[in-house]
Amino acid sequence: MRATHAAASTSDPDAFEAAVRPHYANLVRRLVLVLGDERDAEDIAQDAYLKAFRSWARFDGADVRAWLYTIALRLAFNHLRGRRRWLAAIGRVEPTPWTDPADPDLWAALAALDSRTRAALLLNVVDGYTQAEIATMLAVPEGTVASWISRGRATLRRELDPDR
Amino acid sequence: MTSRTTEGDEMNDDLELSTRLAALEARAPGSAQPPALSHPRRRGRVAVSMAMAPALVLALVATTAAGALVAVNLAQGHPGIQNPGQPMAGIHMECMTPTDAAAALAAHGFTDVVWQIESGAAVAPDGGKGDTTTVQQSTPPAHGFVIPGSLLDDGSVIMVVDQRTDATGVGDCFGQPMP
Repeated sequence: MRATHAAASTSDPDAFEAAVRPHYANLVRRLVLVLGDERDAEDIAQDAYLKAFRSWARFDGADVRAWLYTIALRLAFNHLRGRRRWLAAIGRVEPTPWTDPADPDLWAALAALDSRTRAALLLNVVDGYTQAEIATMLAVPEGTVASWISRGRATLRRELDPDR
Repeated sequence: MTSRTTEGDEMNDDLELSTRLAALEARAPGSAQPPALSHPRRRGRVAVSMAMAPALVLALVATTAAGALVAVNLAQGHPGIQNPGQPMAGIHMECMTPTDAAAALAAHGFTDVVWQIESGAAVAPDGGKGDTTTVQQSTPPAHGFVIPGSLLDDGSVIMVVDQRTDATGVGDCFGQPMP
């Protein structure tokens, strides 16, 4: 499930697009799950794409998806902090989140998690990144990631199978 | 009745959870296209070329600058003071020093001006979020890129001055040395 690329050239737009563009649609989907809002997800993905392009020369060539997701998730968390302050300032409620009619219980359980927990859980369970890798991506201690993932898994199990 | 959870159960749970989460993510909307880097015309809600990216960033700064007042006043949108049809259209204050821009505003009768100064850096050296400081004052600063702001309902004007280390200027003075 990992996407590893050797960046033959880290200076031209064509090399950047060839390496990064294939991950764009999945990045938007991931951000929809983390942010819960399609428009916010598209905005953050575009910001991340442009920011990644500006930083392309500094990319180490190891794992372009992890690098892109790192930029995007950090932007997403900054956005969430700003959105909460903004909505509080103008007295508005949060926008209606995206919903998934095909598996509403799973989405409801996932959406109830804190956004960082949600992001860490998805990086671990869906993408297979280790706790150490996720800690680097999200710029938090490894123990924090371990706690988020453990609590996230437990919450999902409890919500999806309350009889267990 | 209580059931025990075995290691095998947990492995099955993990596999099922992984499958369900991956399927959930696959159903999430993800048809948006990335912004154009080398082709200026591309369909998309906020598609921009890389040449416009710095201007977009600074436009966002200007929006943020106005945002504080909007949040306080619960006001509706205000027109940019250099927009077509507005009093300072065509004046190109973005190419002036803040002091000259203040003089141009005063010459057009705008003496009640809030100067919002952005300093620091928008982007950190590692590509992460930089550290930006915002200060508002009633007098123009000595230097910085002028970003013409908004004309408020009470006749006052908010102007942004970008002093960040990675500032580029906007409009006709995009890419010029910082005044």
